[in-house]
Amino acid sequence: MAEPRSPVSASVPHKLMVLPTPEGSTLEMDPLEYTLRKRLPRKLPKRRNDVYVNMKTDLKAQLARCQKLLDAHREICIHGLGLAINRAINIALQLQTSSQGGALQLAANTSTVELIDDLEPDDLDEAGEPLTRTRNNSAIHIRVFHPNA
Amino acid sequence: QEHIKHPINMKVCSTGEPIPCPVPGLASEVLEMRVKEGSKIRNLLGFAMSRIQGDGHTPPTSQVLFSGTGRAVTKTITCAEIMKRKVQGLHQVSKLQYRTVTEVWESQESSPVQMTVHRTLPSICILLSKEPLDPQEPGYQPPAEINALSEESKWPDGPQGAGKRKSDLFMYFI
Repeated sequence: MAEPRSPVSASVPHKLMVLPTPEGSTLEMDPLEYTLRKRLPRKLPKRRNDVYVNMKTDLKAQLARCQKLLDAHREICIHGLGLAINRAINIALQLQTSSQGGALQLAANTSTVELIDDLEPDDLDEAGEPLTRTRNNSAIHIRVFHPNA
Repeated sequence: QEHIKHPINMKVCSTGEPIPCPVPGLASEVLEMRVKEGSKIRNLLGFAMSRIQGDGHTPPTSQVLFSGTGRAVTKTITCAEIMKRKVQGLHQVSKLQYRTVTEVWESQESSPVQMTVHRTLPSICILLSKEPLDPQEPGYQPPAEINALSEESKWPDGPQGAGKRKSDLFMYFI
């Protein structure tokens, strides 16, 4: 399991919140103050030629890293989750465009990744229980390879 | 849009060149769903689900093609993922490509100033099919096994999500 961390910390207002869920229903929360902590997504087993694309690192740096790994391994797998899907596709397509004569092939697969949020009560005296909430996000896995390698 | 400064600040329209989708094995009666940035997933899926399951009036379609460009790519994948979860046994082929989109921007001031921008954006096409597709095709995904992502495992502790989760629920993504 990934350790809980807080890349985004948001305070939930002191009123009954109705949160939309992906399936269209609504989820009611207790009228307590909570801090929303998003846990890290689960990582797939990482091989040497797996690249997990994020939105924090510079695009050029990630593109250069992919190119280097591709030269070394002849085949890489680029993974992107949520907002980083676009960047993963962009990197894969740019690798393909810049390869000699478009000799690279792309094979894209999609999946759903379950993400877990922790809701921690701000005021411990209010005896609010820590809550967890799960939601789904889409992901893409692009295999970039030389067809006859 | 970074280089477009005031007063040209309103996007009037954006049109993509009509390119054929590169997915082979398309049936003639494939249902084509073009996902846009502002499309609502419930509208897209409400329509697509009624067509793939059949609503009594028309025979159900066997293939659905979701396509989206730029910021609609994530939504396109989400649509396909939800449909795979709701309809068991769907074969999938995904294709990536660049798509050139022409945008016309217009001034909001009284003077009519127009500016045309050509942008190259990543786009995705996802074909979902009840009929088997070529497993050798790059981007092919077979139907999921008995799907662990069923309704009851989505909210393992009820809608409140309180308490600890069971560790075995984490297993199905590996």
